[in-house]
Amino acid sequence: MIEYLGQVRAIVWKDLLLEARTRERVVAMGAFAVLTGVLFNYSIDRTVVRPQDIGAGLIWMTIVFGGLLGVGRTFHLEAQDGALQGVLMSPAPKDAVFLAKVLSNFVLLYIVSLMIVAVFMLFFGLELGSSAASLGLVLALGVLGFVALATLFAAVSAGTRMGETLLPILIFPLLIPMIVYGAGATSRLLAGRPGTEVADNIRMLAAFALTAVAAGAVLFRFVVED
Amino acid sequence: MNASELAVTIVPDSGVSSPAVPALEARGLVREYGSVVAVAGIDLALQRGEFLTVFGPNGAGKSSLLGMLAGSLRPTRGEVLLNGATLDFGSVDLRRHIGVLSHQGFLYAQLTVEENLRFYGRLYGLRDLDRRVPERLSHVRLAERASSLVGQLSHGMRQRLALARSLLHDPDVVLLDEPYTGLDPSAAAILRAVLTEVRDGHRSVVMVTHNLREGLALASRVAVQVRGRFAWQGKGDEVDTSDFERLYHRVVEGGP
Repeated sequence: MIEYLGQVRAIVWKDLLLEARTRERVVAMGAFAVLTGVLFNYSIDRTVVRPQDIGAGLIWMTIVFGGLLGVGRTFHLEAQDGALQGVLMSPAPKDAVFLAKVLSNFVLLYIVSLMIVAVFMLFFGLELGSSAASLGLVLALGVLGFVALATLFAAVSAGTRMGETLLPILIFPLLIPMIVYGAGATSRLLAGRPGTEVADNIRMLAAFALTAVAAGAVLFRFVVED
Repeated sequence: MNASELAVTIVPDSGVSSPAVPALEARGLVREYGSVVAVAGIDLALQRGEFLTVFGPNGAGKSSLLGMLAGSLRPTRGEVLLNGATLDFGSVDLRRHIGVLSHQGFLYAQLTVEENLRFYGRLYGLRDLDRRVPERLSHVRLAERASSLVGQLSHGMRQRLALARSLLHDPDVVLLDEPYTGLDPSAAAILRAVLTEVRDGHRSVVMVTHNLREGLALASRVAVQVRGRFAWQGKGDEVDTSDFERLYHRVVEGGP
């Protein structure tokens, strides 16, 4: 178990160090978040639509589209010089490789998702009040479920010619529960409702995230093995 | 004498009289890609200390053979044994006994030389990396480049680093896939010197290459693979190096 955790830690450390040096994915996701916020800001007629009514949905759609930009490239750096093959030929179990990739993607996308919320608060004049912690938890669980699925399907699509086109087609139908419960909870929290009112949504998001991580850990080996 | 006769008269014997369990053994290995047969039934047994060089034209199935020996490619039929234990395709423990050097280095260009080795060392669960990493870098003459980014190294240096990576965990079996590809004569000479040290009598090595001169220089056993089969095998010290190119072409043209 200690060795397993050491292998997970080694891959997470390597992924985050590579991202710190290249800033390839965080910059792409961050720029997408800011630009999307700006565009939505100008695309909404505030005399017809109240920003807080649609803010939650826009936040989650931006997380999904921005997340695909970054998580979809998870295996691109690995593909250079066949590095993924080197990792897969090591004694690290395939599920450890998967969990490590999920963790490093989670760290990156969670930071970006907090930035997305900040951008929409700025442009849409949204307020969090006392529900910041609850919203942080909702985002964390939603992002965890999303990166688990996106990491698995990024591995599937990485081996295909139409990889980047294929990824959204594969993953979007599976994200419906995350969008329903994540956007629902966010909407209520942005409307100033208490955190206790979204407890069921949080439970459903937790179940979704755990299921996605467990399924990904089991299925990943079938995706990467020849 | 044609290729078929050669295959019969030159015995594919290891030359080791000891009945010891082979370090690496393949039994009836077959690999098919749809209707294409890349490896059509290969048996081999390699004792500790033996160095087998496999030559063959493009498309002969050499890399597929190496992939199956490395446990990274699932055989369609047949099995691979390491020290007598079957190499289960999903097994992780047996991977500790194998080191692979491909024409790809499995390295991260944005990490330093030392960071790459430390990363792989952690994946192999090695605990003495403070001692082991500098040792391996000295071994491949890269100690002074430990803090250089891999992306800044020449192809020859990267290949030596990849060799250090493949030997970091002291594997019993080393698999080399076209290690000389793209190297200039000077870089090839350094790699040859390092590989000579790898042939230390304790490890079993299988090298796949097109480079007849480099391949023969190190081999204790030689095979020519054609259309997925070993069409010819012999002992390294019995091969007439001056005549081997002619023999090779005759075997390749004659087929199995």
